[in-house]
Amino acid sequence: MWETTVDGRVLHFHLAGINNQNFIMRDEETGSWWQQVTGEAIFGPLKGKHLKPVFWDELTFGTWKHEQPQARVLRPDEQVAASGKYAPADWEERMLRVPVATRTSAPALNKRELVVGINVNGAASAYPITALQKQNPIIDKLGGTPVIVVMSEDGQSVRAFERRVEGQEREFFLKPNSSPLRLIDDRGTEWDFAGTALSGDIAGRQLPRIAALKDYWFDWKTYNPNTTVYTLGDR
Amino acid sequence: MENVLTPTNTKNRSRIESRLIWPALLLLLLLSIAFVAIPVFLIQPFRPQTQRALEISYLLRAWSPLATVIILLSVLALTFWKWKRARRWWRKALLVIVLLLSIVPAWFARQNHFEWMFNPLHNSSYVKAADAGFVRDSDMVLAVKINNEAVAYPVRLMAYHHVVSDTVGGTPICATY
Repeated sequence: MWETTVDGRVLHFHLAGINNQNFIMRDEETGSWWQQVTGEAIFGPLKGKHLKPVFWDELTFGTWKHEQPQARVLRPDEQVAASGKYAPADWEERMLRVPVATRTSAPALNKRELVVGINVNGAASAYPITALQKQNPIIDKLGGTPVIVVMSEDGQSVRAFERRVEGQEREFFLKPNSSPLRLIDDRGTEWDFAGTALSGDIAGRQLPRIAALKDYWFDWKTYNPNTTVYTLGDR
Repeated sequence: MENVLTPTNTKNRSRIESRLIWPALLLLLLLSIAFVAIPVFLIQPFRPQTQRALEISYLLRAWSPLATVIILLSVLALTFWKWKRARRWWRKALLVIVLLLSIVPAWFARQNHFEWMFNPLHNSSYVKAADAGFVRDSDMVLAVKINNEAVAYPVRLMAYHHVVSDTVGGTPICATY
């Protein structure tokens, strides 16, 4: 997800092709080609320019609606919906059967395995969803920064944060049987899934967010060739 | 000795030129088709791409609108030239067919065939979260929040449209999937 203003000009994007199963976009204004996943212009007059990333979450509608009851949602196009062209509800399971045609070196996971990818100070790491399902939250250190990756009680929404408060590293645990999900840190402060402190003298404090991309392993690996993979029992 | 064009010489040369027209027309037609067909082949889905293939595709896509028209005009010029000399009706018919065929790549170079396949949503519309009956609570959404304005893009819709332009909290953005 990207801001579309480049050098003071708003660009309008179209699909122009496929690069290893990731879209290439073409802007109407200059005809440059952009890689969707990196936001970088790869050919054309704007080659080398980067779109500014917009921070976004991939959540279940239920979790999001609970946090943002007044917000707006993209509506289906009536013609497309009428012709039944939108993906069926089970499209994610169907995607697992679509063949993968990129060249990734020495796969550590199945190509279509779902991972949560995060990038901190140039260091990339992939957290398999299956690992998060067994161990939630995942406490890790990436590029020298202490991080936490947490999955909501819906089993699908995932967020990542820096786990530092006023420069002090904190450990986090899942509060047992909490719904909505609550975390407790090693000083007894309670936190919600949005990373906001709910108790103690730091109530209302927000943990710094880290962009977490839910992605297929092969796609994450293609655009983050030096990524590590988190395996259970690392710590 | 002076090289004088005798009537027989002129006739011979004209015949050779006349024969060269057909391979020339065929070559132009193939060149024009190559301009639009090569990128379609190189950047098709479900096939790995190399940096070189992408660069070739970009250059061909960038130049094909102009190149295919220049080729079309050349074919047109050759057709006029040959028309007067073509005595048999089927040769004239063949000329017309070649001319019509060279219009196809010139037209295709002006199309975005990816948008035939993956329909982007250029006029997006929205409803309030509470009124969104088309999304189930367990469906995934891409959620953004800029300057206190929050918007969700259901993944099932994004998997079809792939690119949606929007302005959130006063910031022009493009949601992609």
